[in-house]
Amino acid sequence: MHDGSGRITVQGLTKQFGPVTAVQNLSFTVEPGSVTGFLGPNGAGKTTTLRMALGLVNPTAGTTTINGVPFGQLGQPARVVGAVLEAQGFHPKRTARDHLRVYAAAIGMPDARADQVLQLVGLGPAAGRGAGSFSLGMKQRLALATALLGDPQILVLDEPANGLDPEGIAWLRTFLQAYARAGRTVLISSHILPEVEQTVDQVIIISRGQTMYNGPLEHLRRSQQSRVLVAPSDAAALTKALRDDEIYNVEALQDGRIAVGGVEAKQVADIALKAGVSVYGIEEERVNLEQLYLNLTNSSPYGGPFQPGYPPQQPPYQPQPPYPPQQPPYQQPYQQQQYQQPYQPPQQSPYQQQPYQQPYDPNQYQQQQQPYQPPPDPYAPPPNPYAPPQDQRPQDYQQQQDRNEQGGDR
Amino acid sequence: MGALITAEFRKILTTKLWWALLIPAVALAFGWSFVASLLTTSIAQAVKDDPTFQRAQLTFQDAPWSVIALSRAINISTIFPMLFGALGVSSELHRRTITTSFLTASSRSALLSAKAATYLVWGIGYGIVIAGFAMLGTLAGSHGNYLPDAGGFLLIALAGVLSSLLWTMLGLGVGALLGSTTGSIVSLIIYAVIAEPIIDLLLHNHIAGSLPNGSADGLTGSTAAQVIIDHLHSPNLSLLPQDAIDALYNVIRVSAGALGAFTWWASGLIFLAWTLAFFLTGVLINRQRDIT
Repeated sequence: MHDGSGRITVQGLTKQFGPVTAVQNLSFTVEPGSVTGFLGPNGAGKTTTLRMALGLVNPTAGTTTINGVPFGQLGQPARVVGAVLEAQGFHPKRTARDHLRVYAAAIGMPDARADQVLQLVGLGPAAGRGAGSFSLGMKQRLALATALLGDPQILVLDEPANGLDPEGIAWLRTFLQAYARAGRTVLISSHILPEVEQTVDQVIIISRGQTMYNGPLEHLRRSQQSRVLVAPSDAAALTKALRDDEIYNVEALQDGRIAVGGVEAKQVADIALKAGVSVYGIEEERVNLEQLYLNLTNSSPYGGPFQPGYPPQQPPYQPQPPYPPQQPPYQQPYQQQQYQQPYQPPQQSPYQQQPYQQPYDPNQYQQQQQPYQPPPDPYAPPPNPYAPPQDQRPQDYQQQQDRNEQGGDR
Repeated sequence: MGALITAEFRKILTTKLWWALLIPAVALAFGWSFVASLLTTSIAQAVKDDPTFQRAQLTFQDAPWSVIALSRAINISTIFPMLFGALGVSSELHRRTITTSFLTASSRSALLSAKAATYLVWGIGYGIVIAGFAMLGTLAGSHGNYLPDAGGFLLIALAGVLSSLLWTMLGLGVGALLGSTTGSIVSLIIYAVIAEPIIDLLLHNHIAGSLPNGSADGLTGSTAAQVIIDHLHSPNLSLLPQDAIDALYNVIRVSAGALGAFTWWASGLIFLAWTLAFFLTGVLINRQRDIT
């Protein structure tokens, strides 16, 4: 029997469909009490992974457990885990209420539960209509209602925001967060980070079937390292003045400017003024969360060439191409409003809207992040995504994190 | 298991397929038996005057020839419970409701067992309705002299119900095996209606009687033939040469659609074996099938 922990464990999971490796040696754990985002571009293996966890797809290698046991041994699986895997799993002529009563019977729930969950997802008025007449958003709601029938401890949702209107997404977000706060487990996949950015606490980012990041979203967000690029009249004097102020994260750039990490532009300007150094130009350079995500998954929104089975060809953190900044084409205006603004950390908000302006030199970046600075420093180095270029496999990423936790290995 | 069977019944009753297939089954059972028994009546009338049989003093006058029409009508109508069964698993795969069905069942085997139990009941239900209407058609179309007694009627109806439930399960198994609605319907119809009747004609021996359709037809056909032969069985029959008796029995079997068939119980067992083979293979395939 299962242990009731609410934990989903994926261990060394691999799935091959003929010559295509959909998932390769994937490992992660999803804990209760938080909403975990399962992110990756289309074709990264998210759906396959979720379906393997739910016993729908047989893994080629590796194991997945829910509450400590494989899905098939849960006994009453729908009372433990509810899943929204596709918005198409309905008989078009069967009414929403009948659909739910079928599965309420299968789970052993009373018929009244069907109407309860219909009300819960806001489909009460459409209860007597065939699912074939539903919009995609309504089908998503019906799928969620089906998942909720057994009042499960764990919710797994595959791209649940597909087809939902902004209000529906906002409602879903509130619902899932409340669900997680009640000590339950919520795992939600998406190929668009902004879509779930406001919903999730933990993120697992996979690309080409491998884990690229696994940890709190907050860590990832903190790793939105910003630097101040300043063009001073006297670089040496300003550098000295900064050091006097115990700001050591200073790099000289090839164009004569200096880059100062972990500070705000205002602070640098004040120090320059005190030191009597003229400032000809100053700007804040930052990588936003989404850029970071795209770097991790190594893809454009339209997807790079999918190369199943191969390790990433490039280091997980890759310098961006120079100007002009590439604005992700799929960002709809409403998404920017809905998702991006509310998530700006307060101290950063004035600069959030600035586009990414300057490529990082990856070597400098590596230097910057050592030694490890523990939180609560808001500019703590990124916990894991920035494995050195030679460390390309996800396992190395975990090792890197371990080293960081030990206070650095140098 | 009870919960899953309830769910399966609800799946069937909340869509229209069950009566969409029952209506043509009823129409075919009644129409076929009515027309066929009219035909049997007129043939029996003509044969009655044949000098060979007159010499043997066989009582053709009250032989239950119409059971041939009855068994044939049942055989052809069981195509509908077969289709009903074929859609049991394959339509869930096609509509993708199988995902939720698997997620709400304790195991895939449990779900498929619940389906088997459910479709068994529906197969019996279809069989009772089909046999009932085939009997009505026979009663309406046949001359009173050629009707069997109540026992004969009941025996053939029972064989028909058994045949219907086995066809339903065979369809369920083939649907689960092929996993495609169109694929399973087309292949079952082509096999049962076109391919095997041709094979049976070419072989017309016990190989034909061992095939799925041949054994299913044998289940009802042999019962019907037996009802007639039992009636004919009189001391007078022994006056005929053995060849003639064999030929006569063969003609009766062929007329009843039991070409090359074994006796009813052997046919039933053979058909049961086919059904189990398809169903169990279907279950095994579905235990491994990736639902993507």
